[in-house]
Amino acid sequence: MRYIMMTVMLTLSGYASAHQWMPTYPELRPSYVAGVLTTKMELFNSRNDVKYYEILVYDKDFNPMRFATQEKIVEVGYLKRKNIDVYIREEDRDKITYICSKSKLLKGTGSVTRVSSRICSKIK
Amino acid sequence: MFKKSLAIAATLIGMNAVAEEVTITGTVASKCVVVTDTVGIYGNPTPSELSTATADGGVEPIVRFDVLQASFYKARITYPISFSESPALTDVVNWTGNVSVAEVTDASMSAYDTSKIEFDNVTEVDLTVAGSTWFKVESTADYGATKAFPAGTYRAVVSADCIAL
Repeated sequence: MRYIMMTVMLTLSGYASAHQWMPTYPELRPSYVAGVLTTKMELFNSRNDVKYYEILVYDKDFNPMRFATQEKIVEVGYLKRKNIDVYIREEDRDKITYICSKSKLLKGTGSVTRVSSRICSKIK
Repeated sequence: MFKKSLAIAATLIGMNAVAEEVTITGTVASKCVVVTDTVGIYGNPTPSELSTATADGGVEPIVRFDVLQASFYKARITYPISFSESPALTDVVNWTGNVSVAEVTDASMSAYDTSKIEFDNVTEVDLTVAGSTWFKVESTADYGATKAFPAGTYRAVVSADCIAL
């Protein structure tokens, strides 16, 4: 019952002004390129004040790590969902810990104090 | 005879259409949702101060964290220590702030205020209970008693991070 309530709540809350990044614990798998691993992430944007998100990859201490995606700044429209393939080098497999998405706020728009959201998934 | 057969066939086809099923699928998975509940506004109670406090004419920004499963994420909220946009300032601005729990969906979440870890302008809270937590962010910018903020628009950014544990 609790989970049903939570699901309903999260579904409804998604229409307020929210940012979702899934899964929580992505799994790396071999890509079509030798020596490169990949994982698929899903971004859902229900922030009507945000149109662009940045994809970031970090080690356990939040130092930036090298990675590749089709676009590092992704345009995701309001109430749109986007699947993003993230590619990392196999030699970095043990170092890479977090794959994050961060909202990009446009300068000079919106109200006085704005909220920048970042959600980080952890590679297990 | 042919007409009757046609009518029966048409009825059967029609019944098949009525019996067609549409599937709805859904997945319940661990996730964190960061919701911008209220955007903040700086009040200007004195010429040298900008504050989000209600008593100072401001509005405190409120961020909501929804977690579907307990102990999968931590919230990291950062109050501003610089303006993202302002007129040219000739002196140092002193920043203060605080992050506290505003509302909860589970009474045990009120313990977040005592278990939170604070350093610099950062507050970290392990989200150990499934549900929603609203955090309010207080922010004050002080330009010094003898200085007045120049006229213009001032903007600052609150960072709300949800990090998988």
